[in-house]
Amino acid sequence: MDNVMITNREIWRKFNSPEEFDRLVYFDSVGEMWMKCVKEYADKTAIEDNGNKYTYKDLEEHASHLRPLFGEGKRVALLCPNSYDFVKAYLAIVTSGSTAVILPPQLPPEAVYGCCMKLGADTLAYHPALSEKLAVIKAAAPAFPLVDITAATEDKKEAVSSKPGDPCVVMFTGGTTGRSKGALLSHRAVIEGTVNGCYGVGHVFGQRYLLILPLSHVFGLIRNLMTCLYTGSAMFICRNNKDMFRDIAVFRPTIMVMVPALAEMALTLSRKFGRNMLGDDLKYIICGAAAVSPYLIEEYPKMGISLLAGYGLTESANLVSGNPNSKDKPESVGLPYPDQQLRIVDGELWLKGGNMMDGYVGDEAENKAAYEDGWFKTGDLARIDEDGYLYITGRSKEIIVLSNGENVSPAEVEAHFNTPAFIADTQVFEDVLPNGSHILALEAVPRATELKGIEGDVKEYITKELEKINATLPPYQRVSRIEIRDTDFERTPSMKIVRYHKCK
Amino acid sequence: MQMNRAGITEKLKEILVSASDDTETAEKCGEETKLQTELGLSSVDMLYMVIAIEETFDIRFDDVTVTSFETFGDVVTYIENKLK
Repeated sequence: MDNVMITNREIWRKFNSPEEFDRLVYFDSVGEMWMKCVKEYADKTAIEDNGNKYTYKDLEEHASHLRPLFGEGKRVALLCPNSYDFVKAYLAIVTSGSTAVILPPQLPPEAVYGCCMKLGADTLAYHPALSEKLAVIKAAAPAFPLVDITAATEDKKEAVSSKPGDPCVVMFTGGTTGRSKGALLSHRAVIEGTVNGCYGVGHVFGQRYLLILPLSHVFGLIRNLMTCLYTGSAMFICRNNKDMFRDIAVFRPTIMVMVPALAEMALTLSRKFGRNMLGDDLKYIICGAAAVSPYLIEEYPKMGISLLAGYGLTESANLVSGNPNSKDKPESVGLPYPDQQLRIVDGELWLKGGNMMDGYVGDEAENKAAYEDGWFKTGDLARIDEDGYLYITGRSKEIIVLSNGENVSPAEVEAHFNTPAFIADTQVFEDVLPNGSHILALEAVPRATELKGIEGDVKEYITKELEKINATLPPYQRVSRIEIRDTDFERTPSMKIVRYHKCK
Repeated sequence: MQMNRAGITEKLKEILVSASDDTETAEKCGEETKLQTELGLSSVDMLYMVIAIEETFDIRFDDVTVTSFETFGDVVTYIENKLK
């Protein structure tokens, strides 16, 4: 087949330290990986949480007492806030030959019940802090097995090695259609996602991570927790994001995984208080789950921190590509990780690979819509440059078809308007005028800290600068109206802009 | 730290200007101004506000959710009580 890009592990070699690159090996299952970690890092700290430190050996000891509760070949729903107990229960489930269905802790009681039924769970493993979420399942299915993950058992069970294709986790995703569903990831996919997190990070073994992302999201579970354990690193669990800077001062992390909105907040706070709030030990920020602005990529190195942007999906076990060379290619989401095939069909990125999910659980209609000839259709518009770097230019469902038949990807146009440092974010959308004609319009949110020296009317200044950019665009991409906002756009929980749909 | 309500109000305005990234925020802030609906603060802005207040006033918030604060005046009162 033509126009298929097959990825190559060797292109990553130059971005990692040579000794560490050769340590990046693949295991058949999380069980096999975990037993190797326990052997190799036994007395090293794996997790710090709530004032306690747990070594790899401690974590295995505690998980071994939970395994007998879950059995083999079962589907175990896990409802637990970010904590050591989450890590222990998750590891116990997936290393006992069962599948963990990770339920976001913020789900309401009706959804906890609904998800357990829809996703075919055999058991619900819960943390007592969330016991009020069990009201509906207890009333509607009194016989459904519920397991308190903090209850100790006398029995012990060793970890088992599953086969690469065996199911490992089911993760929630809004996916390409926005409706919530469960993506089934095999052990192979989870291991590939875990190892992918190591590529492009010069020194990745024996690091210190601070967890601020939810473990119910692939970015938290795979890039943060799994890559941390795989590399014999330690992870400090920040229980409340408002305490993150205090936790940083105590734990002194070397790597943090975060969404762009938090990276921007940390940068603004550091400037306000005149010191690096993220601590002098921090070397890398792994940034993703939403578009990363080149502004962050340029500003963080001034504080001695590399901000590495990437692209991934729940359906791809989190990681498709990562940018080890942000300096030269700040707008790219980087080079695709090994063992994948990429195709661009009518502008849309299609994927195959060992890291891809085995489909949405119990959702035939969604599966039918998501695949074509075995390729997963991401719904993202992309291009690949001559050096093999990937660029995400928008979402296919967000394409605006103008009355003259031209297709405009809002994200592609916004990328131009987002270039000046004084612009925090923009949205390009189609609007309809009172006379019925359709236009392309722009709203921009300024970044006040970058506008301090401007005299006179600031909004007028911004508008003029954006008009200059507008004039450089191809005619069909030019906007007919520019408005400068006083407030940020409405955002989704993952901080993406809630897009206007004024003409639909 | 000794500070009266007017002093707290001024410091909080400064924080909200940088949280919202909007120089006009200071003029909009009154006792009854609603943080989310009128100042347009997002959840990350609210987190920024809490962290910056702790840093500026050297106080610690109790584990209240940020949504406990509806108005600008609520936050000033909270800080005032913490400083007593």
